[in-house]
Amino acid sequence: MGFLDALLGRTKPVQANLDRLFGLPGAQITLEASEGLVPTREAGVCFKPSAGQAFDATEREISAMLADGEGASAVTAKLSEEADEFGYRWVVLRAADFDTLVTQVHFVNSTLQDHGFGPQLLCSVFGFVAASPPGSSTPGGPASTYLVYLYKRGSFYPFVPTGSERRDNETELRLKVVLGQDLTIEADLDRWFPLWRLPVH
Amino acid sequence: MATRTRFPADRGLTTRMLTTVFLLGLLYAVFVAVLVAVHVQIGLILVLALGILFVQYFFSDKIALYSMGGKLVTRQQQPVLYGVVDRLVALADMPHPQVAVAASDIPNAFATGRDQKHAVVCVTTGLLRRLDEPELEAVLAHELSHVAHRDVAVMTIASFLGILAGLMTRVFYFAGLFGEMGGGGRSRGGGNNNGGGQLVLIELGMVLVSAVIYAISFVLIRTLSRYRELAADRSGAILIGQPALLAQALVKVSGAISKIPTRDLRSAEHFNAFYFAPAIAPGASLSSLFATHPSLEKRLDQLAKLDAEMRQGAA
Repeated sequence: MGFLDALLGRTKPVQANLDRLFGLPGAQITLEASEGLVPTREAGVCFKPSAGQAFDATEREISAMLADGEGASAVTAKLSEEADEFGYRWVVLRAADFDTLVTQVHFVNSTLQDHGFGPQLLCSVFGFVAASPPGSSTPGGPASTYLVYLYKRGSFYPFVPTGSERRDNETELRLKVVLGQDLTIEADLDRWFPLWRLPVH
Repeated sequence: MATRTRFPADRGLTTRMLTTVFLLGLLYAVFVAVLVAVHVQIGLILVLALGILFVQYFFSDKIALYSMGGKLVTRQQQPVLYGVVDRLVALADMPHPQVAVAASDIPNAFATGRDQKHAVVCVTTGLLRRLDEPELEAVLAHELSHVAHRDVAVMTIASFLGILAGLMTRVFYFAGLFGEMGGGGRSRGGGNNNGGGQLVLIELGMVLVSAVIYAISFVLIRTLSRYRELAADRSGAILIGQPALLAQALVKVSGAISKIPTRDLRSAEHFNAFYFAPAIAPGASLSSLFATHPSLEKRLDQLAKLDAEMRQGAA
């Protein structure tokens, strides 16, 4: 940012780096190998709707686009009807395999971005759960570990909630080390904000 | 409190603490001697300093609570916190302090109040969210040790000299300014110019002496404060019998983990638009001289040593 921009109070919007999402398949392999965590193959894209007509149109577009996507690949996507307690909406995606899920999340993000809704995008969240021992049924249950992608920062951080508004910081810091090779981990720990009561399982 | 346990006192710590108190006392004596030597009217300044001391001493609990935004809580509001305090109070055989909680994401706890009967223990919501119950117990044991050691009283009295010297620096500085004006007025009236000049010199000298005394007492008081922290760590750890638990809690509240927020991302949205970076790099040696708390490594070292001692004692 130039000196004149600073003087006049102009800031450039942060350039998101959505391509960093494609580091996730590699991170998934690392997570499974070293931590025994497998993806729940569910993800959420979180954004804040702005009031007004333009967004209504985009919202319809997203819904239609998501419906289209469902037919093409084995993906289900659902736009939350109501805003959550903080006034945010979620697109919750579920896919048969993790790679497809990542591609779809990228698609939703970039569509919103192309329509000029980048500033409204907050984060994307991917759920992980402990792999069930061989022989038992497919890994089920709600996610125990999340990887949060901060749209504005283009960085990831782990989030391990434990019960009511508590989180397992030790595990999170261990995951930071584990995932450091595969993902751009948010270096500023001050920004590892939790997301309580996630709609993503 | 430490004297009642079966563990030997930390002689090194006690010696260092006594040395610091002695140096503070010595400084006080020197300062008073200088004041007497230059025939200064210190009555008013003394009254002012005593007044500040009085307010600090008797309203310490309210001042500290107010500045931290702490609110007294009832047993119904914080049953877990009260449970932990109840256990510790029974263990240490001391009166039950008032319990307060401050709404802040920064993990912190403090104890205040001039004696055991007027004690208040305050923890932040950030601390409650980050620590589990045994760790919370360890932190509160540390805070209750401060109460048992009467650290508020000790530190208030120790800082008396600092307040006095700080006040004198200001009073003499302004007196110097006015003295000069007064001297000018007198010379116009045909008075002695030399006397006025000498007075100004003495006053300037006093400003310098007061400032130096203030600086030295500042460093000494902070040194004393760090020793009191180590002493509270020690007796807190002895009280709960597990130094490792306090060490674990310390790492959680002052290490990297304390930076990880507990506030929801969606409620901290504005935070994402800006980037805050600390302007000053931490870890300078000067900051360790002025710090009120010892460094984390020092505290962990002491607790590890204590842990080893306790294991040996048990074997």
